[in-house]
Amino acid sequence: MHTDFFFHPALIFFLGMCVLPFLRGITQKIFMLAVPATAVALVGMLPSHGSFWHCQCGDFSLVFGRIDRMSMVFANVFTIMAIIGTIYGLHLKDYRQHLAAWGYVGSALGCVFAGDYLTLFLFWEGLMITSVCLVWMRRTKESINAGFRYFLVHTAGGLSLLAGIFLLYFSTGDLSFTAIDPDNANLAAYLILAGFLLNAAVPPLHAWLPDAYGSATVVGSVFMCAYTTKTAVYTLARAFAGFDILVPLGVIMALYGVVYAVLENDARRLLSYHIISQVGYMVAGIGIGTAMAINGACAHAYAHILYKALLFMGVGAVLEVTGRSKFSELGGLWKYMPWSFVFTLVGGLSISAFPLFSGFVSKSMVVAGAWQSHIMWAALGLTLASAGTFLHTGLKVPYFIWFWKKEPPFEPPKGEAPFNMLVAMGIAAFMCIFLGVCPQALYNMLPYPVDYHPYTPTHIMESYQILLFTMLGFFLLVKKLSPEPLIGLDLDWFYRKGAGIFMAFCRNVLARVEKGFVMDLHDKFVLPALAVFASFSYWHDRRVVDGIIDGSACKTMILGNYLRGVMQPGIISRYLAAMLTVIAAAVFLTVVLT
Amino acid sequence: MIIKFIQFCRDHMKMVKMFCWSILLSLMAVDLFIPRHHPHFLGDEIPGFWAIFGFTACALIIILSKWLGHKFLFRPDDYYDSMEKEK
Repeated sequence: MHTDFFFHPALIFFLGMCVLPFLRGITQKIFMLAVPATAVALVGMLPSHGSFWHCQCGDFSLVFGRIDRMSMVFANVFTIMAIIGTIYGLHLKDYRQHLAAWGYVGSALGCVFAGDYLTLFLFWEGLMITSVCLVWMRRTKESINAGFRYFLVHTAGGLSLLAGIFLLYFSTGDLSFTAIDPDNANLAAYLILAGFLLNAAVPPLHAWLPDAYGSATVVGSVFMCAYTTKTAVYTLARAFAGFDILVPLGVIMALYGVVYAVLENDARRLLSYHIISQVGYMVAGIGIGTAMAINGACAHAYAHILYKALLFMGVGAVLEVTGRSKFSELGGLWKYMPWSFVFTLVGGLSISAFPLFSGFVSKSMVVAGAWQSHIMWAALGLTLASAGTFLHTGLKVPYFIWFWKKEPPFEPPKGEAPFNMLVAMGIAAFMCIFLGVCPQALYNMLPYPVDYHPYTPTHIMESYQILLFTMLGFFLLVKKLSPEPLIGLDLDWFYRKGAGIFMAFCRNVLARVEKGFVMDLHDKFVLPALAVFASFSYWHDRRVVDGIIDGSACKTMILGNYLRGVMQPGIISRYLAAMLTVIAAAVFLTVVLT
Repeated sequence: MIIKFIQFCRDHMKMVKMFCWSILLSLMAVDLFIPRHHPHFLGDEIPGFWAIFGFTACALIIILSKWLGHKFLFRPDDYYDSMEKEK
């Protein structure tokens, strides 16, 4: 489309937030569907490139609507995901989750269309504030604590970004949000990079992710798994494409998530670690920086949002119905929730990059980008991680939730998840298969022209071999994998334990020093010294200050009386004499001077 | 429908296992005849390399992670809660 029509899609969500609280019943549900649907339609109508909604704010010019191919890919999937997530939460009586979620989606769209760093920062913080509400709305003690940790960690990241923006402004005076040259990166660039990396959950800045996503509301985590990290991927792709450091970071991420997923007993935390792993592919692709790799990163972000949301929806449905998300407390659900199983399996096969599923056409682009750029260790590391992905998400999650035991180790659920949840999962599952079968639909949207064909015999063969032999390994070693009710320590230990140590230090050391030493010192020395000083002041005031003031007042009075006696005696002859003398002097002076 | 299919598979576990093994074997067999156009490195030219890679990767990930977990990282479920209670 070549129109100049622009209306910010984020505004649809923000306006929707203003109206939603006033609606009830069926109108409310219809409105809930209408808002994200309008946003999808609107994104479809936007011009393909351009810069809109400039706003002069003091010395800064804010750009709210910068559009190009890259922002359109993300805007497209963000709005589609908003529909799926809203349908998934349609049964909720508490509409406030939808408010927070829409604010969250709107902020993500704001970041995607931001043309300068200040606008980006504005929506970046909005992203954090609205998503923390989704954690808190679970209303358990655990989630409230996790929400505060999430909030503090992201505040730190936001401050790093803000510091970078300030430095950038002082060094160049230009805040437009464009690619940074890897050879001329300065401190400002690295501070901004740190802020982005924190939101992308790159180790060692990743521990907030499983912590928060594992404690958010069922609907909240479905939204959260889609936006925060992928917005960060977008910003990285926009500003830091070709930064070499991102390649090893991405590969480490991909493997780190896989290792921790083995240790995880909670299904939603396991999926969270796999977000880290999958975002690793995108970060590595951005680091490689070729057209193929950047395309791969964007395509993978697109596919990832859909299949990861699908997985979170499947596991969330189980949590909603049974109240459990720990493998050690689940099992044997296949008879009771078969549709959730099938949809979760589709998500698992998509994330594992099975041929005909969406991961196959997107993940392989990043790996192919690594091969093309002859970064062999990266390509092999990412392939290794993809075996681990199938191992957990494709096999471990379905197996330990739906099979493993003959019957569930608790009162079996009465039925499937609510119908709207199944519909949302169905849409996401359809999208996953559709993208896998018709990759061209996805490839046509990517920032650069695509010359890549995923369905070659060698590639299909390679994928099947890796995946099916991983499956063999899984079933041979399945005993070793049986869930244990344990948690694996991650780097959040440092601040969770560290905060405890700090508080203990305050309580035991600082408070005691204060009580025992500082208070004593105060009583013994400071108070007596103050008393001496006060009495000296009193004396000084009384004798010196008052003395001077009173004395000078007395003296003025005496002088005034004396002068009055001299000058105003009250005798008329003296006044006349004085007047005559003055007149005579005046006449004399006039005569002499003329 | 889904439940019936799963029930059927569970009732005929032996058959399912045979089916899976035959797929694995046929994969290896077909790999001998696949044309190899642009091999990225040595592994791409060896038939069955990726099968061995997949299996080894799976075993390696499970064993290494579990070892790491039991050696260093595992803590009881209520580790952080109990820390709070200590206060």
